[in-house]
Amino acid sequence: MASRDVVQYRSPLTTAFKVFSVIFLTLYLIWTLLPIFVMFVSSFKDLLEAFSIPEVGDWAGATVFFEFTPTVTHYVSLFRDGNFGTYMANSLIAAGGSALIAVIFGSMAAYSLSRVEFRGKKDLFFWIISTRMAPVVAVMVPLYAIFRSLDLVGTLPGLILAYTTFNLPFAIWILKGFFDNVPYSIEEAQMVDGSTRFQAFLSILPLVAPGIGAFVVLCILFAWNDFLFAAIIGSGGAKTLPVATRELVQPQNIQWGAIMAAGVVTTLPMMMLGLVIRKYLVTGLTMGAVKE
Amino acid sequence: MATVTINNVWKYYGDTPAVRDLNIECTDGSFVSILGPSGCGKSSTMRMIAGLEHISAGEILFDGARINDLPPKDRDVAMVFENYALYPHKSVFENIANPLRLRGMDAARIKERVESATKLLEIDHLLNRRPQELSGGQKQRVAIGRAIVREPKLFLFDEPIAHLDAKLRAHMRGEIKHLQRALGTTMIYVTHDQLEALSMADMIAVMHDGELQQWGTPREVFNHPVNAWVAGFVGEPAMNFLSAELRQDGGAVQLAHPDFAIPLLPAQAALLTGEVRTVRMGVRPDALSIDTVAPEGPSIRGNIYVTELLGGDMLVDVQLTGARIRVKTGTEFAGQAGDTCFMTVNREKWHIFDMETGNAWF
Repeated sequence: MASRDVVQYRSPLTTAFKVFSVIFLTLYLIWTLLPIFVMFVSSFKDLLEAFSIPEVGDWAGATVFFEFTPTVTHYVSLFRDGNFGTYMANSLIAAGGSALIAVIFGSMAAYSLSRVEFRGKKDLFFWIISTRMAPVVAVMVPLYAIFRSLDLVGTLPGLILAYTTFNLPFAIWILKGFFDNVPYSIEEAQMVDGSTRFQAFLSILPLVAPGIGAFVVLCILFAWNDFLFAAIIGSGGAKTLPVATRELVQPQNIQWGAIMAAGVVTTLPMMMLGLVIRKYLVTGLTMGAVKE
Repeated sequence: MATVTINNVWKYYGDTPAVRDLNIECTDGSFVSILGPSGCGKSSTMRMIAGLEHISAGEILFDGARINDLPPKDRDVAMVFENYALYPHKSVFENIANPLRLRGMDAARIKERVESATKLLEIDHLLNRRPQELSGGQKQRVAIGRAIVREPKLFLFDEPIAHLDAKLRAHMRGEIKHLQRALGTTMIYVTHDQLEALSMADMIAVMHDGELQQWGTPREVFNHPVNAWVAGFVGEPAMNFLSAELRQDGGAVQLAHPDFAIPLLPAQAALLTGEVRTVRMGVRPDALSIDTVAPEGPSIRGNIYVTELLGGDMLVDVQLTGARIRVKTGTEFAGQAGDTCFMTVNREKWHIFDMETGNAWF
C-alpha cells in the first residue's frame, strides 16, 4: 500500500510559510483560549481579585492573575439563590427534546427521500433545505405570533417545537446523505429474511449511527447556545442558561462573578460532550463513513 | 420446496421494458440458471420473484399460488446478493440467525440451526467475527448460510460468486451445486457467466434484451443453440461465425465460402426450407481440427495468424478471406504464425443460422 503522506520538498518559501503558520497559530490560540481562561479563573475569584490588573507594560505583574484564593461562592449563589438548577434542566430538556424529535422524524424523512422516487422529490428536498436559508430573526415575529395564539410562549414544549422547526430540515439534509451511502441490498436482504419495510429501516439505523451522532451533537449545540428563541419564545416559564446569564446583567449591578460562573456552567457540558463524541463528529461530518 | 411458474411476465422501468413476456416453469427441486449479459433483465426477473420489484404485467406462481402481491417476507424465499449484503454491525452468528429471529424462533433452536448450517459451510469457527474481518469467500459463505438456515421454499442466488477470484469461483461452483442437491430446494441462480450456468444448472434460461432466448438443459443450450446470439454467448472460447452461401450441387447441398465448399450432411440439408441463399455458419473452436498438411476430403484453407498456448490446449487464430476464426487444438500442433493450414469441420457439430433473424436451421 502506498504511503498516505503528502510528499513535501523544502524550499525557502515553504520554510517561510512554516514559520509564519506557527506564529499565526500561536496568536490564534491566545486569541481564542484567553477569554475562556479568564472566564474559568475569574469564576473562582472574588470581585476584588478578579479586577486586579497589572499596569500596562508591566509583564512581570502578570502573575497577579494567578494570585487568588479559590472560592466557589459564585457557583453556590447561582444554584442556591439563582435557580440555575432549573434553568440548566430547561436547557437540557429543550436541547435534548428537540434533538430527539428531530432525529426521529428526520431519519424517517431522510430515509424516504433517499429510497423512494416520487414526483417533485427534488423540489421537496430543496424546499426543506430552503427553510434554513432565512435568518432566524426574519421569522421571529410571525413565529412569535403563531406561538402566542397557540399558548406555547413561555413553555418548554413551545421551545422544543421552535428548535425542532430549525433542526428538522437540518436533520433531513444531513441524514439523507448518510442513507444514500447505505447499500440498498442490506435492507432488501432484511426484507427477504422476513422483516417489514419499517423493520428493515430500523435495521440499517446502526449503519448511519455516525450521521445521527453528529447530527444530535449539532442539534444540541444549536439549542443549547441559542439565545434568540430562548429569550423570546421561552421567556418566562422556560428560561434557559443563556437567558438566565443575560439577566445577571442588571442596570445597577453587573454580577461579574456570577456571570463568569454561569458562563462556565453553560460552556462546560458542551465541551465535555464535544470531547466524548469527537470521533463521531469527525467521521460523521466527513460523510461516507458507512462502509459496505 | 416449490414449483415456480412465471407466466407472461413483463417489467417496465418507466417506458423501457426490462423483461418482455417471460415464461418459465421451474420444477420442484430443480436448479435453474438465468443466464445473460448485464442489462438483459435477469436480475429484474429475480427481484420480481423475491418481491423487491413490482411485476408490471403477468403473474408469478409458487406451487400454483399467485404471489404477485405478497411482500418479500411472506414469500418464504431466501436470497443471496451479489455484494453479499451482510449486516456490517452484526457478528457472523447474528447475521445467520437474523431470519430465524425475525420469525420468532426460540434461542436454543436458533443456535442449533445456525451451528448445523455453519458446519455444513465450514465457517463454524468464524461465528464471532464481523463481516469486515472476513475474506470474500467467507463472506459469501455467510450469505449462503443466512439463506439456507431458514429452509425456505426457494433459493434465489444473484451472481453470488461473481466477485470471487477465479480459483475460488471454480471451487464454489461445485460447493453450491452439491449444496443444492443435498438440500433438494428449488434454486434460481442468476449469472452472466455461461460457465457457471453450464456447470451447475439443470435448466438454463438464456435471456437477452429482456427476452427469453432459449430454455433448455445445459447440453441443449450448448449443442443446439436456437439462434446465433445464444450460440455466440454460450461457450468459451466463443463460436466462430462465417458468412457463407448455400449451393445446390447435384443431389447434395454445399456450404460455399471463398476458402472452402463443404457439403451438408443429408439430414441437415433436409432441415432447410424455403429459398435460402446467404447464411451464417457457426462452428465452435473445438469442432474444428487443424493441420499443416492438406487432409483428404473437404477442408478450410487459411493462414495462421497467431497461436496461444493455454497450458493443456492451444488456440490458433486463422486468417481466412475477410474473416478470422479460432481453433482449439492440442499443444503438439507445430504450426507457426504465417504458415498455411487446413481445417476440417466436425459436421455433426456445426450450425447454420438465418442471416436476418439469426434463428438456427440446425
